[in-house]
Amino acid sequence: MNRQHYVFPKWSNMLLPTLIAVSTVVPLYVVLLAAYGFSPKATDVGYQPEQPIPFSHAVHAGQLGMDCRYCHNTVEVAAKAAIPPTQTCMNCHEKIKKDSDQLQLLHETYQRGESIPWVRVHDLPDYVYFHHAAHISRGVGCVSCHGRVDQMEVVYQHEPLSMAWCLNCHRNPEPHLRPLGEITNLAYDPMVELTADERHQLRKLHSIDPSQDCSTCHR
Amino acid sequence: MIPRIFIYITLILIAAALLPPAITAYMRTSKKPQPRIHFIQDMDNQGKFRTQHENPLFDDNRAMRPPVDGAVMRGEIVDSEHLTSGTLNGTWATSFPSQITVNREFLQRGRERFDIYCQSCHGLAGYGDGIVDQVARDLLVNSRLGKGTSWVPPRNLHELTIHQQVVGEIFNTISVGKNNMPALESQITVEDRWAIVAWVRALQRSQNAELTDIPESDRDNLETVNLIPSNNEEEEADEE
Ligand code: HEC
Ligand code: HEC
Ligand code: HEC
Ligand code: HEC
Ligand code: HEC
Ligand code: HEC
Repeated sequence: MNRQHYVFPKWSNMLLPTLIAVSTVVPLYVVLLAAYGFSPKATDVGYQPEQPIPFSHAVHAGQLGMDCRYCHNTVEVAAKAAIPPTQTCMNCHEKIKKDSDQLQLLHETYQRGESIPWVRVHDLPDYVYFHHAAHISRGVGCVSCHGRVDQMEVVYQHEPLSMAWCLNCHRNPEPHLRPLGEITNLAYDPMVELTADERHQLRKLHSIDPSQDCSTCHR
Repeated sequence: MIPRIFIYITLILIAAALLPPAITAYMRTSKKPQPRIHFIQDMDNQGKFRTQHENPLFDDNRAMRPPVDGAVMRGEIVDSEHLTSGTLNGTWATSFPSQITVNREFLQRGRERFDIYCQSCHGLAGYGDGIVDQVARDLLVNSRLGKGTSWVPPRNLHELTIHQQVVGEIFNTISVGKNNMPALESQITVEDRWAIVAWVRALQRSQNAELTDIPESDRDNLETVNLIPSNNEEEEADEE
């Protein structure tokens, strides 16, 4: 009888070190994967729904140089930045390219008095309270929260819109402050155009002290 | 030797372990039309209607109901004809309404609003040469790209007829439009429309300034400026 059969083979000596290696690598792997894979930067950023009309900000806000407030005209005074009513588009498209296939839906809904079924891109959970005017009137520009919309053919979510992201800026808003005249100038970068001291002056000018109380955003 | 089967299993596991990071990397760098993934829904979507959300109960799907015809919003002023329609006893008002004080700040506001709402058509200085006008003219001559474009160029705000209009009439043009000029009432508040009128007046004045408009202390400076440098240059070029 061959007694060799009942002895652990030689390679089984490697089991213990392997087990130690695996038990250190696997938790690390899981933690990193959860941190990177389940972060809003992976699940939320880059959301770019297809819109019913191929409306391009790159053409209207970029090439034609239209100010954001021509269309999103409530942004300075209200919580919501309001998607423009069809009438606003008709200011120009009553005449410009009126037979274009891409604009067919625009004219149809306008005639029927309906809204265009735009797909919402940015959408905070319903238990969060956000207010555009509070930010715009203090000199936080659109680009800080929406990215270079004037270069987007189709709008996508550029920032995570997570609670950590909001708080990050509320703790240290200075890098994002700009003069009120540059709010809708997306190419303007306060880190380049202003010195740290000037940004600090801006903060003092508007007496900015963003709140971190839970009730500011959850009310 | 390690049995083959263990080696294969290990290799397969390693390969499988590379897949989630690859997906993560893709998720973090790509743009995607699929709805956002929220693992824990909490109360993300509650049964309440927020601004510009949908309500399938209504035919037009709007949660925000359009006001009934003739409804007057809170704060919507109706008692001052001068302020809200630019008329006084049925004729165009020749002055700014009493609710408004025209000062430097008001003009600055007007300038900012003009640059937002009028500049794209009428141009920064009001000559009727905004970018939209330039693009539309191109589309007009290029019928393949134009796709049915018809375009009446915006008026040059420095034309004599518009110079001669009183403030009430210009206010009215902004509010309810005129011929091919769209009504901008719904986009601009009453005060801002008056501010724009003030800025249009300032622009018109600036393009037709007289010597007496300039403070005496600055007039000397002005007269030393060579007003026709291009002619001189041509002459010099000819001589050579
Ligand atoms: C000609 C009108 C127009 C102008 C000018 C314009 N927008 Fe928009 N914007 C729209 C319309 C229409 C939509 C909805 C369709 C879409 O998402 O593309 C929209 C959508 C958006 C959204 C996404 C909204 C959502 O659903 O979450 C953002 C952000 C935005 N605009 C920012 C800007 C900024 C910043 C500017 C200035 C650089 C700007 N827009 C200029 C018409 C305009
Ligand atoms: C101030 C004038 C103006 C307004 C307001 C405006 N547009 Fe445009 N739009 C243009 C011009 C000019 C072009 C043509 C650009 C070009 O071809 O270079 C255009 C092009 C387009 C096109 C591409 C059409 C094609 O066949 O190439 C679409 C789609 C469009 N606009 C949608 C919209 C929508 C939706 C709105 C309302 C939110 C809107 N536009 C508001 C001026 C305007
Ligand atoms: C401090 C960050 C911040 C700034 C600055 C900001 N936005 Fe937003 N914006 C948001 C958030 C967050 C939402 C999503 C709101 C929601 O879901 O209720 C949003 C939503 C929008 C929407 C969709 C409609 C709505 O209100 O839900 C538009 C359009 C928009 N923003 C345009 C603008 C424009 C134009 C500017 C610059 C004048 C601007 N935003 C500046 C954070 C910002
Ligand atoms: C880029 C910087 C920045 C980001 C990002 C930002 N905020 Fe703010 N927020 C500010 C500043 C600056 C103020 C003005 C504080 C002040 O007036 O003292 C402010 C004010 C506010 C206010 C009004 C507070 C009050 O006292 O009225 C609310 C509400 C608010 N933020 C919510 C949010 C939410 C929700 C988010 C995330 C979706 C967010 N903010 C993201 C900079 C930011
Ligand atoms: C500057 C705004 C702001 C402040 C201040 C704030 N929150 Fe939030 N909070 C948010 C936003 C935005 C979200 C939604 C994040 C998301 O979509 O994942 C959120 C989400 C949450 C959630 C749900 C998290 C989840 O994903 O399930 C809890 C719980 C919460 N906040 C508690 C608090 C508490 C407690 C405080 C006070 C210490 C606080 N928040 C202060 C903006 C804020
Ligand atoms: C969509 C492009 C467009 C925009 C935006 C626009 N206009 Fe006009 N405007 C026109 C056109 C086109 C005409 C020529 C109307 C005609 O003669 O049929 C005109 C004409 C005028 C006139 C002369 C009216 C007359 O008595 O003949 C005035 C004054 C005027 N615009 C002022 C403004 C002001 C102020 C604004 C900004 C609040 C503005 N417009 C925005 C296109 C525009």
